[in-house]
Amino acid sequence: MTGLAVDDAAWASAWRRRSPADKLLLCGGLVVCALALPAWPGSVLVGLTAVVLALGPARVPARTLGRAVRWPLAFILAGALTSAVTVGTGGLGWAPDAAARAGSLTAHALAGSAAVLLLACTTPVSDLLPALRALRVPAAVVEVAGVTYRMLFVLLASLRAIREAQTARMGHSTWRRSYRSSGALAAAVLTRSWDRARRMQEGLAGRGMETGLRVLPEVLPSSRAFLAASAAGLAAIVAVGVAG
Amino acid sequence: MHIAEGFLPVPHAVGWTLAAAPFVVHGARRVVVEVRERPEATLLLGAAGAFTFVLSAVKLPSFTGSSSHPTGTGAGAVLFRPPVMALLGTIVLLFQALLLAHGGLTTLGANAFAFAVVGPWAGYGAYRLTRALGGGLLPGVFAAMAVADLATYVTTAGQLALALPDAETGVPGALVKFLSVFALTQVPLAVGEGLLGVLLFRALTTNARPELERLGLLRPEPAR
Repeated sequence: MTGLAVDDAAWASAWRRRSPADKLLLCGGLVVCALALPAWPGSVLVGLTAVVLALGPARVPARTLGRAVRWPLAFILAGALTSAVTVGTGGLGWAPDAAARAGSLTAHALAGSAAVLLLACTTPVSDLLPALRALRVPAAVVEVAGVTYRMLFVLLASLRAIREAQTARMGHSTWRRSYRSSGALAAAVLTRSWDRARRMQEGLAGRGMETGLRVLPEVLPSSRAFLAASAAGLAAIVAVGVAG
Repeated sequence: MHIAEGFLPVPHAVGWTLAAAPFVVHGARRVVVEVRERPEATLLLGAAGAFTFVLSAVKLPSFTGSSSHPTGTGAGAVLFRPPVMALLGTIVLLFQALLLAHGGLTTLGANAFAFAVVGPWAGYGAYRLTRALGGGLLPGVFAAMAVADLATYVTTAGQLALALPDAETGVPGALVKFLSVFALTQVPLAVGEGLLGVLLFRALTTNARPELERLGLLRPEPAR
């Protein structure tokens, strides 16, 4: 358990051992289809495909998927509603194509979010970072991203522990106390992150860190059957989306 | 407030990615040079990225009764400077998209431009201006965090207005709409984030003064 539901789902997913490149191809294709195809039937098909694959073969818990989609859903609904309203000389009113405009925007965004969630809930970030090297991102940047990923769980655990202790001491009982506690909480997390980085640095220096933070990458072989099924599925979605 | 996946049309997603790219590449070059000269900087920069991510998990009581989350880029810009924040902010946005479903991959460029470029630079500018006008560290930090938050929100509203112009009044009308809708949460949050910054740096001045002196934010205390 890492404390982040999507990351937990990724490590526990039935697709965890699949090649990250295979999953990137499938989910990237779905994201592009969600964006480029007409909302009906293209985006609807993409959304359904992503959800069925996540809940079915990838065995992502429905609760995790439902909770994860809350953030984007709130933004999407607020944004779509705002775009459907028009500001004219007579005040606020519905745009002439309000329903179509809001519906299309919501469908594109929900389908795209579902496709990204399929990738996020089946592939831990540590599996995706080596793919950045293939995109010619400098090794130093990938290493910083790797340290960020590994350290954020430690800091999140510290954050929760300190907040629990503050709450137990009535640190969040009033608005004023809550602000003071939040400031102290942020300062404690920052100084702990510096302290942890310093101790890691001393430990690694003692082991002669001269070639960066190299780790042995886990080999997750590509599957021809998975790639063929992904290509066929994406081609079918494009064909139906364009014809529809 | 990050733009969700699929919310921007393809030309806008590509355009904002191209707009953010020079800043992020510049930040990446700075990081590469820093790591080449001081290999241990990898860990400190990673810690800074993790702190920025975690800061967005700190709940602030909101004036509207609910709770909000700070962006943290203003504090990052003061502590680590805007070029580094362009890269760290983009890494944090990527992780927020993949770990929290907050933001997206095709909207990463647009979100990076608002959150990792405009926010930190505007916040850092406000900090420098406040210090140049004779303000102390804490007023400077308040200005940095509040302005970074507001600048991020105004930029995001502008990006949405360009992508979704109003049917009657075009981009200006859409800008008014998006600014009004998100002002309900973002303006109180900007003030709240400024207050959090003051409390954070006040605690750091007491508990981590050597680090603030090393970062050039405080002058070394004269030896007694």
